[in-house]
Amino acid sequence: MDGLDDVFGDLFSSVDGVMLFSPSGSYYERFAAVEDIDVIVVGTEDEVGAETFVELPLAFDDVADRIKFGIEGALEQEVIEDGDELACATRVFADEIDTISRVRASADDHSGIYDLFAKSRADPGVIKSVLELAIELGKKGQKGKPVGALFVVGDAGKVMNKSRPLSYNPFEKSHVHVGDPIVNVMLKEFSRLDGAFIISDAGKIVSAYRYLEPSAEGIDIPKGLGARHMAAGAVTRDTNAIAIVLSESDGLVRAFKGGELILEVDPEAY
Amino acid sequence: MEWQTFLEEPAVIAAAVLALGLVAGYLVGRLNNELLTAAGVPDAVEGTPFERTAQSIGTSTVEIVARLSSWFIYGIAVLTAIHIAQLLDTDMFWFRVVDFIPQLFVAVLVLILGFIIADKSELIVSEYLRGVKLPEVSLLPKLVKYSVLYVTFIIALAQIGIHVLALLILLAIYTGGLVVVFVVAFKGFLISSAAGIYLLLEQPYSIGDEIEIGDQSGIVQEVDLFVTKIENDSKEYIVPNRKVFEDGIVRLRE
Repeated sequence: MDGLDDVFGDLFSSVDGVMLFSPSGSYYERFAAVEDIDVIVVGTEDEVGAETFVELPLAFDDVADRIKFGIEGALEQEVIEDGDELACATRVFADEIDTISRVRASADDHSGIYDLFAKSRADPGVIKSVLELAIELGKKGQKGKPVGALFVVGDAGKVMNKSRPLSYNPFEKSHVHVGDPIVNVMLKEFSRLDGAFIISDAGKIVSAYRYLEPSAEGIDIPKGLGARHMAAGAVTRDTNAIAIVLSESDGLVRAFKGGELILEVDPEAY
Repeated sequence: MEWQTFLEEPAVIAAAVLALGLVAGYLVGRLNNELLTAAGVPDAVEGTPFERTAQSIGTSTVEIVARLSSWFIYGIAVLTAIHIAQLLDTDMFWFRVVDFIPQLFVAVLVLILGFIIADKSELIVSEYLRGVKLPEVSLLPKLVKYSVLYVTFIIALAQIGIHVLALLILLAIYTGGLVVVFVVAFKGFLISSAAGIYLLLEQPYSIGDEIEIGDQSGIVQEVDLFVTKIENDSKEYIVPNRKVFEDGIVRLRE
């Protein structure tokens, strides 16, 4: 069986760094003791107190997304360089790390998925909460029926000036922030309203029932997506906001930034 | 009748009291241990140096406190037994000791509690400040720790009847100084937050309105307790809320 080491050894021989996705404490210690190797910890929380840490906004269920996000984040933080060979150790089936994947970091495959969180106007935490909210809404729907929703996050002042109310704003003079415990239920109920939710940089829900009126000229989003997605794409190009859309027809959650579709997740997968 | 006289023998009563005290002490110790564990004390003290020291000598904070209550009761039982058996004829002395022991017990308890609170608050403060990467900041948790310890010592010393007036005066000066520094340092914040409460309650302007504060004008992006963020095409202003009151608000209508 010593041949197996040779064969699988190719996977991690002469790598420039090791990325550990949510390792346990003892697992990380063992790596930290190995000399001459950069260890980068990736996870939703830095549980092991690692020196170099890349934060995941979501515990991506899809391994490819998870690794892609980790690498883009590490490139952005300049802990790795373009062209580095990386051994990414992550979990697929078990509750601990069971898989190694050898990946070449490439700055060209920039999907902007890291920028969506780390380089938007709004707080990364706020974007994360809204995304979680959309995923939860997609999973459960409203009273069992699928619903659609459009959240515009960040740059709220400008978005408000580029939209008009469809009816009275239920959040007028309220101080509700995404992430408050009551919000999930509240937004679930309000999601039957037409129009967009507008959320400020700091996470305050500014308004519901907004009709967005950016110019949709030259917006290029995949064909087949409806008016809600078109409005989302357009508003993110005209302002510095990002938009998170839950599609009523196919149930997917999509995120837009700068007029482009950046992220697509299936709520059922979480 | 023989039994009666036998039972009235002081030595027998003393022995009974002693046995009762031993049993009661043991039970109270166990009960305390259970109660403290159930109250989540082991989790709360975890990671404090006191707990670590206790662990290194093979015990734990909960055990020490429980043991202490046991020994307290043992002590009282022994003293009572000696008194009843009239082994010694130094009443006055024993009375003073009996008087003194509960206070000593409380003082030791206060000390243990104080050490744990001090360690714990040091941990919490340093955890809180971990995001601030400034070497001088590491002084602050220590300051908090020793402040708590100081107060603990004063309480413990007062408990066993030592005069602590001078120490108290020192404490008063120290806290007075802290309050003065706090008020001076956070004056702007206090005024701004008072204004912020009004702004949040009344909402004279809200996100999306175009306003002018002093010579800064733009669209409101955010209003929180301390500041209002307004933004125009080229600039983003972060205006302390007290300025809103000093300069007044101009709402721009197109």
